[in-house]
Amino acid sequence: MKMNNVLKMSVALLMLALTGCANVQPWQRGDLAKPGMAFESDQLLTTYRQHIAVSKEAASGDTTLGGGGCGCN
Amino acid sequence: MTQPKNKMRASLSALTAAALALPGIAKAEVQTDYLFSHYQESDLPGNRSASGQGSERYKVDTHLFRLAGTPIAADQVAQLDVTYEAMSGASPWWVQPGANGKPVQVMSGASISENRVAVDVSYGIPLAGLDWGLRAGYSSENDYKSVHGGVEVQYTPEHKMYTVSGGIGYSSDKLDPTDGGSAQYPTRISHASKNTVTGYGGVSWVLSAQTTAQVSMSLSRDSGFLSDPYKQAYIIAIASPVADSRPDGRQTFAVTGKLRHYIPSLGAALRADARYYHGDWSIESHTVDLSWDQTIGDTWRVTPGVRWYSQSQAFFYQPYYADFRTDGFASSDYRLSPYGAIAGRVDVRKVLGKWELGGGVEYYDASANYAIKNVGIENPGLVQYWSANLRLSRRF
Repeated sequence: MKMNNVLKMSVALLMLALTGCANVQPWQRGDLAKPGMAFESDQLLTTYRQHIAVSKEAASGDTTLGGGGCGCN
Repeated sequence: MTQPKNKMRASLSALTAAALALPGIAKAEVQTDYLFSHYQESDLPGNRSASGQGSERYKVDTHLFRLAGTPIAADQVAQLDVTYEAMSGASPWWVQPGANGKPVQVMSGASISENRVAVDVSYGIPLAGLDWGLRAGYSSENDYKSVHGGVEVQYTPEHKMYTVSGGIGYSSDKLDPTDGGSAQYPTRISHASKNTVTGYGGVSWVLSAQTTAQVSMSLSRDSGFLSDPYKQAYIIAIASPVADSRPDGRQTFAVTGKLRHYIPSLGAALRADARYYHGDWSIESHTVDLSWDQTIGDTWRVTPGVRWYSQSQAFFYQPYYADFRTDGFASSDYRLSPYGAIAGRVDVRKVLGKWELGGGVEYYDASANYAIKNVGIENPGLVQYWSANLRLSRRF
């Protein structure tokens, strides 16, 4: 898949997402606030495991800017 | 039952923030964390080794300290991370043809012994109706220094069910490889540098009272010395390895989707992440991560998870080369080879008043068999590892 096509599809998906929200009242969001529901529910462990993945695999990219360090070996 | 209006607004705000939280700029009370992890790669088996003998590989002990709090104002979160890593063992050096042309791995001769110290700080502050996050960090090894910084921002429109977020970061790295330019390693560079610009944008939204989702895109541009100074590639025509050589620029793109669904009757959250990645070195990859976050009683959380990963190869990668490529590139690094990987893990946490104890284990197995497409020749250096971690947190 060409990078330009992927970009266009992703932008379309984001626009669709903005119009796809349910009208959930604030007092109905108790379950959404449970610890396991956060997109990164354990930042410390996620940071550690992402560092390993970046050093062992070619791919990277997430809603994070990443950190430094070589991980060359 | 009624409660003061401002207290209700604060509670609702906290619920929304928790539901749509993004890393680095989530609001928090004062908290300290300590994580210790041991990472151990499996030995290289003798039938994949050029020497015919098994070889130990890499192991890393990591200590990660975190302090987060609100030193200036209740809605401004400061965070400090200090990481110390002790690394040792041998790593893949080059791949050469063995019996019947089967690729076999040559490992680095001497055992590597190295330390890394990293300091990362972030500060979250609401300004002009947006939540801003500022990040900066420094990482130091004997042969590698990295300084990086970035700005992140998120916006939740009033009375809307979505949050928009984005960020941009920059990293500047300096390499001073051990024994670079020496008589023993004449092809190894002695100094080099590289820079990386990264950006992302995404939206997270509430689908129902039990379901949230997030879609994001990230772009990255690397420039400078992107080869690995400690690796070589074998050329049959000269019966010798040459220095690893890669393009001096790379652009990558990734789109990531995340879904969270809570099941009240089970007290559990289903977590699903998927990522598509494409880079202009022709590497394309897919990642799927599924986990189940189970609450037991009021104080236990058990989270088993599985992860599948697959990538295609870089356009210039080969296990070994018959002759030099016309563009001069050469790399036999297993991380640029086609393969797939399966990982399984389980993490356990227990709240004890203001303390939280935790631990977890993970096993990772890379193989051509797990790749999404058929792999002709598997790189002999593919890694298997396990890691175990212990953690302790204290809220104040």
